[in-house]
Parts: sequence; structure tokens; C-alpha cells
Amino acid sequence: MSVFTPITPAAAKRVAAPPPALTSLRGVVRRGLRDHRRVWLTWGGPLGAMSALMAAMWPSVENTITDALENYPEGLKEAFNIREITTVEAYIDAEMMSLIVPLAVAFLAVRVVTRAIAGAEEQRYLDTLLAAPVARGVLIAGAFIVAGIVIAIVLAVTTLLTWVVGVATGSDPSLAVLARGTANVWPLSMLFAGLAALAAGWFHRSAPVTAVATGTLVGMYLIDLVGKLAEPIEPLRWASAFRYYGSAIQDGIDPLAFAGLTLVGIALAVAGAVLLQRRDVMA
Amino acid sequence: MAIIETHALTKRYGHARGIEDVSMTVESGEVFGFLGPNGAGKTTTIRTLLDLLHPTSGAATIFGLDSRRESRAIRARLGNLPGDFAYDPRLTGRELVSFLAELRGMRDLGRAAELAERFHADLDRPLGQQSRGNRQKIGLVQCTFHDPELLVLDEPSSGLDPLMQEEFLAFVAEERDRGHTVFLSSHEHDEVQRVCDRVAIIRDGRLIAIESVEDVTSRSYRHVTIEFADPVDPDEFRRIPGVSDLRRTGRRLTFKADAGVDPVIKAAARHTVTELELSRPTLEEIFLTYYGGDEAR
Repeated sequence: MSVFTPITPAAAKRVAAPPPALTSLRGVVRRGLRDHRRVWLTWGGPLGAMSALMAAMWPSVENTITDALENYPEGLKEAFNIREITTVEAYIDAEMMSLIVPLAVAFLAVRVVTRAIAGAEEQRYLDTLLAAPVARGVLIAGAFIVAGIVIAIVLAVTTLLTWVVGVATGSDPSLAVLARGTANVWPLSMLFAGLAALAAGWFHRSAPVTAVATGTLVGMYLIDLVGKLAEPIEPLRWASAFRYYGSAIQDGIDPLAFAGLTLVGIALAVAGAVLLQRRDVMA
Repeated sequence: MAIIETHALTKRYGHARGIEDVSMTVESGEVFGFLGPNGAGKTTTIRTLLDLLHPTSGAATIFGLDSRRESRAIRARLGNLPGDFAYDPRLTGRELVSFLAELRGMRDLGRAAELAERFHADLDRPLGQQSRGNRQKIGLVQCTFHDPELLVLDEPSSGLDPLMQEEFLAFVAEERDRGHTVFLSSHEHDEVQRVCDRVAIIRDGRLIAIESVEDVTSRSYRHVTIEFADPVDPDEFRRIPGVSDLRRTGRRLTFKADAGVDPVIKAAARHTVTELELSRPTLEEIFLTYYGGDEAR
């Protein structure tokens, strides 16, 4: 069988020059979002369900929680940023936003970036991808943007589920207050997405990338936690991203911390792109 | 016009060998075979050309563009089938090609449908549910759908059934007829001999020969078989310079002659010859000579 297809001038023009970086970036982001199209269910669902459970429980614990809190050690309350719990939003803040949601969502951000870069290299997909006229930096930028969108979706689902169930069960949380609490998780997670991008610029495999990024995540959390309890560790808290996380539900979003954490995440991702460009892609 | 040029291209992995001083030129419109056993440096050469690996020293140009600084512009004009092609097993071939088309700034899938039909590639099943041979067909489609000027193929017929190998070789020949250039890395001597214009042989990371397939096979030794009317003394032929591997079976002598056949013909003419056969060695036999036999497999 012989099929002859002459090259038309239009076709020749079409492949002669690399497309603008934004075109490639759009392709990478769209593919990444398709790869994570079920994340609203697989991650947003469980986190939202847990948070919704807290909202649903609020009417039954509302009258006893203040008494229970009085028995908590002061250090513990300070460590977990627990103040007076007189509202359902403060209850959700203490139960979900101080530990579970930030750690889980930051881990998801790490996972998204790791899979797109180190995972693709490990599975030898990068050889196919990088045969197309796409810059390595675009792959990193795409993974970082996908992480940002994916975690925004998960946080939105968590917020909405909590609010809907809260309204349905009579605890009536404020959507705006819940939203600012979950939105505050976003820059923190983006910092760790950036850290994963940096590690992927250095390592060829997903295991060390995940280890570095999640190890730092847990390490920073512990430094911040222990720093609140132990005075000798307190000076180290400046190096922890959790030091700048605070409690947006109780205090509102700190725009400086929000922008700072996001910018550090972007800077780390840019450094990762530079490293990836400079090194070999392993087969 | 040279499409690929390398100048003392060297890639080392720490102290480990990759490739050393690889210098070659691939001309426009030729099918260039790159022959060597596993581990000889074929894939390292290709991955260095594609900027996946950065050379330790030396340089390469493709389409006259620097393979490092202008890699994106180069990749816009080539198609690459990596050795042991693999991609996300959840994706269908169509999804993969769509993604790559988007990365190339294309608004359609180019020749994908036509090529999928030709190679019997199923674009609608996830890659993870396809056999190795069928995945390889998707690999061929993804590297050719955009009609590139240069095809870089690393073990392209690996996993293909014989009928599809034939179709693939016909496709390569057509690409050459259309003025496209094909860089074909293989250890399948037969396909290289059948479709390539020139061949480079790489051994232990170094190029040891670059010649036209015709020259390689014509300049090399000849297999000689002579049948005589009466038995002859084999030593008469064994003494001829360049004759080796001589065997006698009844009235028949077989041997190799690598210093020309004229003295062989003159010696044979002293007897009554009933049959004479001269044949060129296959590329595989020549390759084995370069590699000293058992190393090549």
C-alpha cells in the first residue's frame, strides 16, 4: 500500500517554526487538567465530607465546646491556633484548617507537579514530549499552573460542601468566611508546588522529589508547631511557611503573607525550570 | 545540503562512556542508517542530537541550527520515535496525538488518520490496553503526523509484525522520495540494507565506519563457490592472497576472497569449471566482521 501526501505550502509553514510559548503552555495546562479531571471528587470529596461533618456536628457540640476548651493546655491551644470557639467557622478552622486541609492540599500540589515532571521522566514520557517544540520551562510552568488550578478546585469543593451541609443542618456557616479560610491554604500549597518543581529540576525520579517536598512540608509544620511550644525553637519559625499561614477564618487573609508565599512558590518553580533546562533528561 | 552535522560530539556520564568524537554528516533526502548493538551509543547519539542530553564536548547542528541553543526550532521540524516508545497508559493514541498537535501549534491532527489507517494503529484504545507492537504503531503515528522534514527513528520496527515492517520500510522509502530525511537507528541489518542509502556503524561509543550501503557491500569480500569437473587440490586456492575460510565438498570449493577475484578466476581457469558463483556478503556479515562476531548480538 502506498499513500502519497504532498506537503502543501500551508503545511510546510505550519511546521516550520515553533509555536509561541503560550500556545505550548496552554496545551500543557489543558492536558494536565484533563489528567486531573476527577480531582474534585477524589480529593475535594473526602476533604469536603470531613469538613461538612464538622459543620453538621456544630449544633450538637456548640454548647459543650467552650467548657471542653477550658481544659485544654494553653500551649496546645496556642500551637494549634485555637482561640475561643464560639462560631461554626472557628470550629471548622480548629478542626480542619489548622492541620488536615493545609497538609493534604499541599501534598496534592506536590503530587501534581511531581507526576508531571519527575514522574514523566521516570516513565520515559519526556522523550516523546520533548520531541515537540516545547521548552522545558513550559513544562514546569504548566505543572505549576495545573497545581494551582487543581488545588483551587479542591478547596472550592471543600468550601461548598461544608457550606451546603452546614446550611442544611442548621449551623449556617458564612460562605465568605469559609472561603477566606480555604483560600488561605492556596498560597501555602503553591509554595510546596514550587518546591516540588525545584526538586524535579534536580532529581530524575519522583521518589526523591516527593521526599524532599513532603519532608519539607512536614518539617516546616513541626518547626512551627514546636516553635510555639518551645522557646529555643521559636527563632526558627521564620523559616517555616506555616509561620505566615495564620488563621484567615479568624483574622482574615493577610495579603502580605498571601502574596509572599505565592511569590516564593513562583521563585522556586522558576529555579526548578532553570535547573531542568541545564541538566540531562535521563532515559 | 547537510541536515545533520556533528563535530567530535562527545557525551560522557561521569567516568562512564557514552559516545566519543562522533563526527558525521547526514545529507538532505537520504535515509541514513545508524547501526550498532545495544549499548554501542546509538540512543545516546540521538538523545544528544535532540538536546535531551547535553554534550560533554563537541557540537551538532540540525537544519544548520545549533542543537542546543536552537533546539525548539529544530524540534518544530522533526519527528522522533524514541527507542522503546512509551506514554501515559491511560491516554488513547488520539489523545496523545491531539496533545502533541497542540504543543506544535497545529489546529488539526495532520496526517494522523491516514497514517493510523496505513499502520493499522488503533487511536481510540488507551495505550495501556494495547500490545507492544500496537503501541509502536501509535509511536510511528505520533512522530510522523505533522509531516516533519526529518524523521529520527530509534529501533522503529521493534515489535512490529513482518507485514507491518514491510509497510514501514515502504513508508520510509516514500519519505525519501518526497525529499524528507530519515535517521534510522537499528540493529536490524536487513532493514538497514534494504532501505538505507548510507550507514554509520558505531562501536563502544565511537563511529568506526560511515559508507554507502552499496560501497560497504561492494568493497567487501566475496563469497566464492566453484564446482569443478574433477576434484582439485584445495591448497592451490588456499595459497592465493586474501582467500580464507576455504572448504572442500567433493568437487566443490567454497571460500572468501577479500583481495579481488582476479587471481581466483585465473587459478580456476586452469581447471574445467562447471559452476561459479560470486556473492556479496550481507550487511549483517560485514557488521559481524567489524564487531568480531559474537559481540554483535
